[in-house]
Amino acid sequence: MARTVSPGLRDSLVAQIGNLRAFAVSLCGDRERADDLVQETLFKAWNHLDSFQEGTNLKAWLFTILRNTYFSERRRKKREVEDVDGTYAARLSSRPEQHGHMDMRDFEEALTDLPDDQREALILVGAAGFSYEEAAEISGCAIGTIKSRVNRARRRLADALRFDEQDEGASDTPTPSLPKTKSA
Amino acid sequence: MTGNDKDKAPKRMAVDARNSTDGPDDASAQPATKPETSMSPALQDHIGRQVRAVFDSVADEPVPEHLLRLLKDLDQSGEN
Repeated sequence: MARTVSPGLRDSLVAQIGNLRAFAVSLCGDRERADDLVQETLFKAWNHLDSFQEGTNLKAWLFTILRNTYFSERRRKKREVEDVDGTYAARLSSRPEQHGHMDMRDFEEALTDLPDDQREALILVGAAGFSYEEAAEISGCAIGTIKSRVNRARRRLADALRFDEQDEGASDTPTPSLPKTKSA
Repeated sequence: MTGNDKDKAPKRMAVDARNSTDGPDDASAQPATKPETSMSPALQDHIGRQVRAVFDSVADEPVPEHLLRLLKDLDQSGEN
């Protein structure tokens, strides 16, 4: 069937690819898989462009397709192979306490260690520029749920960062949230 | 001020981190009034900047050729 997509809409689609890739990487933590996910998203979007109302929020629409694609795929895979996320879980439990300067890489890891729903909410609101309301729509949950997920994500990251702040200068054992003793 | 403090603190952190995973997820009943806890604005800004930096580092990359090609192909198949 011939589908005529206005050049404007096509350009808007192209303009969102970068954001979609960043969102995909944040969801699955794997760049190759992320690009597959984006590809699938673009394909689906293209084939359903008639269900998209021009002038409404294209970005939110695309993000919704992407996250739904990701999570339904993940559910399916989980049924097929138990513990696909075994390594992920292992990393989570064996993660050493943060110590010393937390650079971007450490931060990325702390972000990866967040529960999926918290990370998703934080990325949508804190990085992708969506309102709580839009994020709730994308994730298919209540606004209050998004808010509490974002808060919990921030608090968790703050815990990881706080080691840093209070530990500056100390040499070995970190003593978070307690006044430093004079000597060890 | 005793040596004990040293031992307790990291342990408590570890427990906290584990617990927060299965906290009441749907505190959705609560409206926006949930306190932002004791997080300082500076720390919150810092986290915000880092999250954006991680996101932007990917978002700002050049779009891979094969993704652009996909759209071009779809576009052309529609025209015929």
